[in-house]
Amino acid sequence: MKIEEKPHQVKKFYLLEYFYVLLKSIEKNYRWEDIFETFKELKSNFLLGESKYKRLKIDKQNRAGKRIQRTLYTFMQVLSEAIDYGLISEHKKEKSYQLTSEGQELLLKYEKGHLFDFNKALFMKMENRFYAFHQIINFCYEANKKKGGLLVFPGYTPIGLGFEKSKIKTSGDIEHYLKTLQRKLEDDIKEHLNRWMDLTGQRGMLIKNLIESGLLPGSVSEKFDPDKYNSIIIRIRKFWLGEFLKKIYGYKYSYSSFDIWTYRGKQIGVIHATEFYPGFSGKIIYPTSVITNNKSSLDFEKMFSYSNGDYLYIHSPSWEDEKNREKFVDSLLDAYFNLKKASRSYYINLADTRELVCYNMKISQHLFNSFLEKAYFLNLKGQLKVKISLEADKLPQETGALYLKRDPVMVDGKYRNIIAIDVSKRR
Amino acid sequence: MNSFDKLLTKPTSEIQEDVKGLFEKFNLRDNPFPSEPFVNKDANDDRINGKIFEMEIRKKEYEQMVNNFLKIPRNDPSHLRMGFIMDTSYIGRGNGKSAFLINLHRKINEGFALDISNNINKSFSVYLSPEPGGRTKTFSQLIDLFFKSILDSSIIKNCLAAIRLDALLSLTPDFNPSKHFKDESDLIEKLNSTEWLNENKINPGMLNKKILENKYLISLPKEFPLYEIQGSLLTPEVVTQDHFKEHYLNLKKGQERLEFIFSHLVDFFLAANFNGAFVLVDDFERIPDFQSARQKRDFALELRNCLYDGLYKNAKMGFYTFILVLHAGVPRLIQEAWSDSGMENRVPITPSRTITKHIIPFEKLNREHAVSLLKRYLSEYRIKDNEKRGRNDELFPFTEEAVYKIAEVSELNASKILKLSYDLLDKASTINEQEKIDEKFVEEIIDKNIMDSETKKSIASAETTDLLKKAQGD
Repeated sequence: MKIEEKPHQVKKFYLLEYFYVLLKSIEKNYRWEDIFETFKELKSNFLLGESKYKRLKIDKQNRAGKRIQRTLYTFMQVLSEAIDYGLISEHKKEKSYQLTSEGQELLLKYEKGHLFDFNKALFMKMENRFYAFHQIINFCYEANKKKGGLLVFPGYTPIGLGFEKSKIKTSGDIEHYLKTLQRKLEDDIKEHLNRWMDLTGQRGMLIKNLIESGLLPGSVSEKFDPDKYNSIIIRIRKFWLGEFLKKIYGYKYSYSSFDIWTYRGKQIGVIHATEFYPGFSGKIIYPTSVITNNKSSLDFEKMFSYSNGDYLYIHSPSWEDEKNREKFVDSLLDAYFNLKKASRSYYINLADTRELVCYNMKISQHLFNSFLEKAYFLNLKGQLKVKISLEADKLPQETGALYLKRDPVMVDGKYRNIIAIDVSKRR
Repeated sequence: MNSFDKLLTKPTSEIQEDVKGLFEKFNLRDNPFPSEPFVNKDANDDRINGKIFEMEIRKKEYEQMVNNFLKIPRNDPSHLRMGFIMDTSYIGRGNGKSAFLINLHRKINEGFALDISNNINKSFSVYLSPEPGGRTKTFSQLIDLFFKSILDSSIIKNCLAAIRLDALLSLTPDFNPSKHFKDESDLIEKLNSTEWLNENKINPGMLNKKILENKYLISLPKEFPLYEIQGSLLTPEVVTQDHFKEHYLNLKKGQERLEFIFSHLVDFFLAANFNGAFVLVDDFERIPDFQSARQKRDFALELRNCLYDGLYKNAKMGFYTFILVLHAGVPRLIQEAWSDSGMENRVPITPSRTITKHIIPFEKLNREHAVSLLKRYLSEYRIKDNEKRGRNDELFPFTEEAVYKIAEVSELNASKILKLSYDLLDKASTINEQEKIDEKFVEEIIDKNIMDSETKKSIASAETTDLLKKAQGD
């Protein structure tokens, strides 16, 4: 039976915790206005909906108004998706809402701390309705067969390419940056995809877009509005993301729906997406699951059965298996030394280490965190062949240096962000 | 060919005499920059032992050090007993902390801080750096290292000569030092030599007896090295630094050694007219990096005991001032231990909003600093002075824009700036027509380097698991 994939029909929000926030708001209230009030409050308590990117420019006027509008928009999106999934029932006349028994069950899962079960239940709902993961995971494997579905989206800011922001003032300067960027992107395509592509046409199109949308003046020597610098750079980044997805990988749907599904997939653990792979500038995506009708390895867990006989299995090697424990520690060690070479210090960034291990083992961040914690406890008991030390250094949000947020690693009840491994204690 | 021919025959290929040295075209004797810019105090090469140092770029830090520590009278009960040089730049190693510290150390010892403090204080400085890899983990290991640095700096030898000269002058008022000694180091050598004393008919035993009349030395225990020869007036031999070393090694680890360092030696130094000492601990993170939470707390407690609240002479008067160099991550590592042990109340490690005198922030360099730094290194290796060359271009062959570029890509990290300058000059020396190092040249070389380093750990070559195969049990 043919599966009808509808990834483009997704509602526009990334974080699955919105479902919890909505269900919780409806558990407490039934009138629309009250639900929305609680929703707003919980949303800010859970730090949801903050842009993944730090706000680049604060728009003072209408700020509060715009924020409420945005929250309302998200609220409506979550609400309608939750109704779709039968998690809440709607009484249109009174504009009131109630949890269904399924909704109550889901809420309970979250509150008991069974996050994976909560995510999995939502995953079932989503997949039943859209088959989006079926579509995206197969798409990844198709797009880059040789490298297990790895999709790279290189991106470079002007600073990353050695341009000084203060020297970028005119259309000509932007064009100069775009030329350098084009060369870099062509090199990356060659390196990662083994293809040669001339992106001159695309660059021309991009410049035309920028001029037509009023961001850049038409003549090379004319200065653009410096307040629009960030908008221009963001526009350029989005343009190339879209080009890569559609022209190079051949994706049929929009970039924004692709982005939403990959980040939802990341939370569930079936896809990994990151902007922080060490040594790579840009974004990478790869599946941490497979879709097949033929599986014999024990390291996979069934997540979904499709009507055509396919299954979606998430890669979840068990810690109980000694082979997996060894593989993890070796991979951790490799990653540690790989990164340590560059930093010349005992402690290195744990999130960077995580990226290398996740890619090496093709496991989700959740699994990495749980393996690390288990390895750490063994190490405390002296039962690990190496000695691992985890500490918290200045957290990224305190340095103000980071533009994007990264998911933290919690081990033994504390946030950790640096790791050191001592092999001299190797037993 | 007769038998002399080989002595007289000239080879056909003649030596070209006009070949230039590799860096001669840049008016340099050698590449002035270090290839591996990590400071090693004991190295002979000036490029890496911290000798080439531009204090101008660390003027702010140096002045704080002088005003908050060196100039404060030691008899002021509130003088600081501990301070932190805290890296606030968050750019990792190589910001010039070690170089700064070594130069501070030399500066203090040059005039025993008398010049810096207008004769208010007479202090010496000891520089030490915990051993890497967790070998310096406990407080007693740190103290062993501290004592080793005291020996290395010959300060004991120095003090012995000073107190002997003092005693000699009071025993024989007409003794004229300038007749006997060429200079300071000659004096120190001779007054530490039994032979010299014997030659000049000075009885070491008598001299020692006089020395022990000093009010600070009277209360010392009878095992203290200076007392060792008191009873034997017949076969006297002067006490040397080696006796101190031997004595220390015979002491039990722990209490006995602490007593020696923090009480007895303090008396000894006071007798030699010092009223304070600076203990500069570089790379402090090497200690807590390898400590468990418990070890961290014990360490902080001992520190508190020896510096502030114990029964040691030092705790009572604050003779030693410990200056710890901390990189940005260290406060978090020891915060808990610091507050558990009560150190936080004495020397808070968490920077507060108010200005704290004991914390000297070590800031990021700026572009102009980079220019000064390069000028300083270049000037040390000039063949001819710039003025003699008829041009006043201290940066040659670098252009100012090039240095700005270097500074920028090195994230204003001193060590990276020096390393990159080394690479650039090295590269330029091998290209005949490369007469100067300008922004364009810097960009070219950097582009190449970036490519090199990226391919090394690129995701394109990283190993990974093929899930499709794995699922099928391959």
